[in-house]
Amino acid sequence: MGKLEMIAHTKDGGGLTMRVLFLQPPLGWWAAWKKHIANNVAHAQLAANIREWYPEIEIKVLDTRALGMDEKQMVDAITELNPNLIYMGDALQTTGVAAIHPRYQQAAKVIKQVLPDVKICVGGFFYGANAPAMLEKTPEFDFVVAGETERTVPELAKELSKSDPDIPSVRGLAYRDENGEVKLTEYRPLIENLDDLPLPAYDLFPMDKYVGFNYIRHYVETYMTRGCPNGCRFCVGWTNYDPRGNHDWTHYRPRSPKLMADEMELLVKRFGAKFICMMDEDLNVYRERMEGLIEELKRRNLKVPFFFMGRAPYHLRDRDLLKPLREVGFVCGLFGMEAVDKETLEAIKKGTTVDEVAELVGLFRENNIMSVVTWMVGFPEDDEQRIKDRVERLDLMDPDMAALQILTPLPGIPLYKQLEPYTEEWNLLKWDFQHAVLRTKHLSRQDLGRLAAWANREFYSKPGRVQRILYDKRYHPFCRLIARVYVETAGKEHAQAAVEDKIFV
Amino acid sequence: MMNRDIHLTAQDLLRAMQFKPGDFGEIAIVSGQPQRVQMALEKLKNPLRNFSAMGYTLWTGEYKGKRVTVGHGGMYAPDAALITELLCAGGVECLIRLGSCGAMKKDIEIGDYVIAEGAIRGDGVTRYYVKDGFQPKADPELTQKLFSLCKKHAHKGLVWTTDALLRETKDFVNGAIAQGAIAVDMVTSPFFTIAQLYNKRACAVLVVSDNLITGEIGFADIRVFDAERRLIERGFDLVREV
Ligand code: B12
Ligand code: SF4
Repeated sequence: MGKLEMIAHTKDGGGLTMRVLFLQPPLGWWAAWKKHIANNVAHAQLAANIREWYPEIEIKVLDTRALGMDEKQMVDAITELNPNLIYMGDALQTTGVAAIHPRYQQAAKVIKQVLPDVKICVGGFFYGANAPAMLEKTPEFDFVVAGETERTVPELAKELSKSDPDIPSVRGLAYRDENGEVKLTEYRPLIENLDDLPLPAYDLFPMDKYVGFNYIRHYVETYMTRGCPNGCRFCVGWTNYDPRGNHDWTHYRPRSPKLMADEMELLVKRFGAKFICMMDEDLNVYRERMEGLIEELKRRNLKVPFFFMGRAPYHLRDRDLLKPLREVGFVCGLFGMEAVDKETLEAIKKGTTVDEVAELVGLFRENNIMSVVTWMVGFPEDDEQRIKDRVERLDLMDPDMAALQILTPLPGIPLYKQLEPYTEEWNLLKWDFQHAVLRTKHLSRQDLGRLAAWANREFYSKPGRVQRILYDKRYHPFCRLIARVYVETAGKEHAQAAVEDKIFV
Repeated sequence: MMNRDIHLTAQDLLRAMQFKPGDFGEIAIVSGQPQRVQMALEKLKNPLRNFSAMGYTLWTGEYKGKRVTVGHGGMYAPDAALITELLCAGGVECLIRLGSCGAMKKDIEIGDYVIAEGAIRGDGVTRYYVKDGFQPKADPELTQKLFSLCKKHAHKGLVWTTDALLRETKDFVNGAIAQGAIAVDMVTSPFFTIAQLYNKRACAVLVVSDNLITGEIGFADIRVFDAERRLIERGFDLVREV
């Protein structure tokens, strides 16, 4: 084990000062979302954990995207902040899927040129399942977290603050030994109870600078549950977790309704949040939790509009909760269909049926909740006929919005091995769901991109639908603004990504 | 040989559809686009669908105490002629068309409005109604009101009505411009012509979706959607004033 003396700064009295910097380097956003600058909730959570568990560690935050800084300004700011450890990582796929990696790598490169001694750690989405491999590939990084970051990052920071750090003792970490060889420490078990974690330290972040979907100011993204019991084979949620665990992604853990409401209340009262996007993948697994959340929000009379992602079967099970949910602020919800033909649903192990999705779209509409259905193209069997057929059925179901994703073969998802032979584009900046990076058995990568652009444009230019989602006042104004971004980008930015390979993240 | 003067009149057709006087309001707001019809319909109190034939549907309801008919006014010159004549024969006194057009001046932008003062007859249907030199005109008073309601982004002028979307060639287009046209559509000429023949007041406002001079196409542009939405509001603002 190498001794990492360099990172320990000597305080006046000879004690050690550890400064951890949470860095959001310059990066863009999804083509279909126009300007979207969200808070990094994973950073806020880790910062809170460190503050609570190791108060002696200094925490710094630099969100260059929110502050509109370029690379040089970032390096200057970091030089001034003088951290010993820099962490970059996200928990949410919505930041840009794998396209975040080249951005982090570039940031690490320029930082190391000026501050060669600073340690750089990444983790979370995409890295969690690929820690040793990513460290191997990225000399600019010093550590990559394997699996859940919540305990590992604080422990790493703590360990590094010692004069004789014992890195192998930090579980869930890929590091380099004294010979420069990549090593992986022991598996880190999951946190069983999310309520043991403090609320994210939003106070350290420039909360007034965030913008959602180009138009919504005072916008916040939260992350109140972990995992999804469904374990769809294509789901990128898997990539947050160490494959040595026991299907950690499917181990569903929600925060208690009281703490969820506490967090929302804090966001509204202290930070002036006007719209809360709960970006965790599957919020509505347990009915009691949803009932609890409704109760808590009602009691507090918060009246903040919010969005969450859930699954169609759970919504249908709890159909009587849609009305009370709408009353406490649930204005827009997303549920997945991913593919609408039975065959594909079975192939990807998605326990949802086409009828369920259609029924739920109707129920959402009855309750004035805007519906967003996610769906996918790019499965190996996809040909033009299949994709167009899927579009036809989607059109019949007529959700308010459709979030189209092009299948992206992230290492760490169960379908990965099967998809690898179809992958044709290895520039990770395009691995953001909005570019075609693989071909199918019947379609070239280019054809797939073109069909994706076609399908999206078809959906968002349909007379009647466009007017409904842009102007119908039963939908909350923020929902109509989100719809506006999708309509605006359908023939433009979205197509530029899918057809012309233009980079956005 | 046919011995009757005319096979079908508007009255014949209305009768055949069990139409009764009063089924239409005094004012009609028509459009060729179903989504615009839908948005207009939402403004009416107690709308009754009391005309539907050949795929064209009209509803009559109340708006600020006035009886207003809204519905599908035709997409091309021939069907626009038919619906316009039925409306006139059915007792409508004031016709407002909410349409769309291609601009023929460089500085007219996608999402702007063209308020038609009159039409240049590039269509085929009006020659069955009027002689060659006839110039279809909008009601000047309604047109002026409409213009001031839309003032921002509004352009007043003549609209050339064509029957051949895919033959908007340099020769035809420049010919129309030389006659004073600032925009092209496929409806306005018969719409004004027939209203004039029946002594009714008519006006037309058209959202610009493309520009023939710059070549810009904005069919699914958000500016067009937004302008279309405001168009409905302006149509009903006008109803208040007539
Ligand atoms: C076909 C068509 C015509 C045909 C006939 C219409 C018919 N029904 O037979 C003809 C050739 C006559 C025509 C003429 C014109 N049209 Co036209 N036309 C259309 C079109 C493409 C479809 C209308 C339709 O039938 N809808 C009902 C059926 C059921 O829909 P659909 O078959 O499912 O078609 C869908 C898709 O195929 C898709 N789609 C089809 N074409 C395109 C093209 C693009 C770029 C996109 C994004 C989507 C798209 O959108 C449709 C709705 O989902 C629309 C485009 C549209 N998005 O609505 C324009 C549209 C209605 N026309 C428009 C215009 C401006 C014109 C012209 C003025 C053009 C000109 N410069 O001369 C003329 C005059 C019209 C008039 N009344 O005065 C505009 C209206 C602007 C607006 N948004 O308010 C539209 C919306 C688009 C456009 N700018 O061309 N049109
Ligand atoms: S239901 Fe959604 S979040 Fe859950 S595993 Fe499937 S795709 Fe992932």
